[in-house]
Amino acid sequence: MANILVVEDDKDLNNAYKIILESEGHSVEAAFNGQEALKKLEDFEPDLILLDLLMPIMGGLEFLQHYDLLGKHKDVKVLIFTNMENSPEVTEAYDLGAHRCIIKSWTAPQNLARVVTDTLENKAVSSTPA
Amino acid sequence: MEQNNIQSEDTLKFEQQEVLAEALFNSIGDGAIATDEFGKITRINPTALRILGYTEREMIGSWFPKKIIALTDNETPINLIDRPITKAFLTGRTIIEKTYYRKKNGQKIPVAVTVSPIMLANKPVGAIEVFRDITLEFEVDRMKSDFISLASHQLRTPLSAIKTYSHMLLDGYMGEINDAQRKSLRTILSAANRMNELISTLLNVTRIESGTITITPKTVNVEKIAEEVNKEHGLLASDKNISLAVQSRSKQPCLIKTDTLILKEVLSNLVSNGIKYTPEGGKVTVDIQSRRNDVLISVHDTGLGIPKYSQENVFTKFFRAHNVVKQETSGTGLGLYLVKGLLESLGGKIWFESTEDKGTTFFFTLPKSLRSQQITTEAMEHA
Repeated sequence: MANILVVEDDKDLNNAYKIILESEGHSVEAAFNGQEALKKLEDFEPDLILLDLLMPIMGGLEFLQHYDLLGKHKDVKVLIFTNMENSPEVTEAYDLGAHRCIIKSWTAPQNLARVVTDTLENKAVSSTPA
Repeated sequence: MEQNNIQSEDTLKFEQQEVLAEALFNSIGDGAIATDEFGKITRINPTALRILGYTEREMIGSWFPKKIIALTDNETPINLIDRPITKAFLTGRTIIEKTYYRKKNGQKIPVAVTVSPIMLANKPVGAIEVFRDITLEFEVDRMKSDFISLASHQLRTPLSAIKTYSHMLLDGYMGEINDAQRKSLRTILSAANRMNELISTLLNVTRIESGTITITPKTVNVEKIAEEVNKEHGLLASDKNISLAVQSRSKQPCLIKTDTLILKEVLSNLVSNGIKYTPEGGKVTVDIQSRRNDVLISVHDTGLGIPKYSQENVFTKFFRAHNVVKQETSGTGLGLYLVKGLLESLGGKIWFESTEDKGTTFFFTLPKSLRSQQITTEAMEHA
């Protein structure tokens, strides 16, 4: 099972993702903004980061600008989990090395677990889980 | 002598009329430019000079399309053939458009333009253009879009929590639940989904209207997307005993390069409309046909149909057919307006055939490979 860092400012959602992913056997750490995530990453080596884009203090895009996903951390998978579909921010996240983008309000827990598993296994999956 | 007097009176009258016409032209509150039949500027009023930053001397006698550069949204000069003044000359009709002009100092300003050909004996002998600076309208529109966008995102966060926890309860993450609890949770989810759809529609309409929709092309399997959409609508359809089907006309998977989320949004709108407006026991079918350069997709229902007198308004904003409003009170009238806008952003087209009380088929095409200036990146996934 994998090490996963959940970066989400909404406490309820952050907690929900932790419950869902832990029930799948993953080891989950939580951060509530990009800055906290960078700090967590000093001594936590994730296989996957579940990243929100709109967050206070440091948002997802700024986090990606600091976290060298295209170089030093190229083995880490980043799943953008946002409600900003079809927005320039999502395009920018892909440019910065994000692997996939899924829409929070359309994604049921079991689908989140499936997308995480598929991404970790590097499987080609449909981009818009229900 | 008397003849001379009449002549000088006529000349005076003519001169007076000329002065009056000049005064009228100069008093127009918007920018006004008159040209001869070759597009050479013959008259320009002070407002036009002020908006564009030129002097009268610099403008009179210049060729209109060369002197006043019209630009697209991304600063590219508009081709002569696509300029409103050319269209007015070619069609003999009044052309109303929004475009951008470049001022003398290089600044780009949005303008609303009305050009009419000046016709004499059915031949254009010149053109008159009236235009106004709409910078303020643009700014207000942008602020409105930003506000709706922000408000929609903020609304979605608590909604995501409602949906996620309802799903978690249903899926047994918090332990077993009984049938009554399951039923209540489904009701909560259904309401949250409706709310989510409304927010999505509102966001997308704002993006389409402000031209800020972002397109991310990927290779997608159209049948697979259609199956996913049908699956998502399974509950809604089974409540009305409506069968959902996907038909493909070729043995090979239909792969196209387009924006998955937008395609899904379009199909979702059409399928959900089909279900909503089809009586119990009916059928909604998605048919996929791969053609040489594009794919033709149709969504057929055995529903209420659209009355003939309403058909020309189907894609207009807030339109809802009378027979539909009688039976189904919910609905914004934005769905098909949005679908058309979304498809156009993907280079597609939409049309329909409908017979009242028999059903409707919406047809749309999508190019096999999407090309757009808006495309800045390509996702890594494949169907």
